[in-house]
Amino acid sequence: MKSETQRPFIEKVAQDTRDYVQSLLDEVQRLSRAVAELEVEIQTRDERELRLAQSMAAVEAESRNFATRYAEVEQQNSNLANLYVASYQLHGTLDRERVVAAIKEIVINLIGSEQLVIWEAENENELRHVGSFGVDADEWNSVGVDDGVIGLCLTTRVRFIVVESAILPSGREKNLTACIPLLLDDRLVGMIAIFELLPQKEGLARVDYELFELLASHAASALYCTRRTPPSEGAAQ
Amino acid sequence: MKKKVLLVDDSNTVLLMEKMILAKGPFEIIVARDGIEGIEKAKSEQPDVILLDVMMPRLDGLSACAVLRSDAATAHIPVIMVTTRAEEANIETAFRNGCTDYVTKPINGLELLAKLNNILDANAAVAR
Repeated sequence: MKSETQRPFIEKVAQDTRDYVQSLLDEVQRLSRAVAELEVEIQTRDERELRLAQSMAAVEAESRNFATRYAEVEQQNSNLANLYVASYQLHGTLDRERVVAAIKEIVINLIGSEQLVIWEAENENELRHVGSFGVDADEWNSVGVDDGVIGLCLTTRVRFIVVESAILPSGREKNLTACIPLLLDDRLVGMIAIFELLPQKEGLARVDYELFELLASHAASALYCTRRTPPSEGAAQ
Repeated sequence: MKKKVLLVDDSNTVLLMEKMILAKGPFEIIVARDGIEGIEKAKSEQPDVILLDVMMPRLDGLSACAVLRSDAATAHIPVIMVTTRAEEANIETAFRNGCTDYVTKPINGLELLAKLNNILDANAAVAR
């Protein structure tokens, strides 16, 4: 009797439980869909992040490339400035002492050596000292064709650069780095010998070779012009 | 605004080279040809930075640097020494005499501009 009266209550509880379970199942289904959507979103985001990282790497590589090119262009500008300064200094005067001083300054400040000698060609076979720095001038007063590597340059009129040559200078020429004949229309006007480079210089750079070329012709013409100008008219303003 | 740079060197070659390097930046260039003239111009022109050669007539760069540091009117001005020889002793002396930084010859344009800009940036940051 009692169980008959309780039946509706039990059925209601059972119905409520079914409803509750159904709502839980619905919620699980909803959450599963949400998880699936999130997984898709995460995957999309990962792919986007990967693409961004790749783009970033490409931009960084391009930036590095630009930085390298900028440094190269700046180096070229610097080299051109060196050549301009050297040329300007050589041709800014007709005064002999100032031309010799300009050659010294170019070697010291632009090439980077504090040991140099400048000679003028006395004749085809002999050089006469006109200026030097950091060496004993008396030791280099005159040079003839038989005097070592410098004599060889006097004979051949071909420049000597120690790192390009099989000849190893010795004796008083031991530290010779370069010997540059100054030529004007194949006529020997003089010679420049450059000995030890400054300690911070690791070696000759490309611009140094260009400066050698420039010195060979422009220092020759500058020196030659001083011969044709009386000293009193020399100094150009 | 242009920054004032005082170049102190007796060599026309170096002065021309420095001018060409600095022509790329917003700099006003002032020139002095020895240490004494450099000190006078530093006092009168109050440059933002000084490029000071070591070997000069009348007063060398190392002594000029010490004088600049000891004078209240110029003690604050950064000095970049331009040295021919990079041996440690020379550099040590330059710093002992109060230089801010140094470059060696042959001058590398990129290096000089970088050091100059670093000093000017640091000064601007301090001023802010």
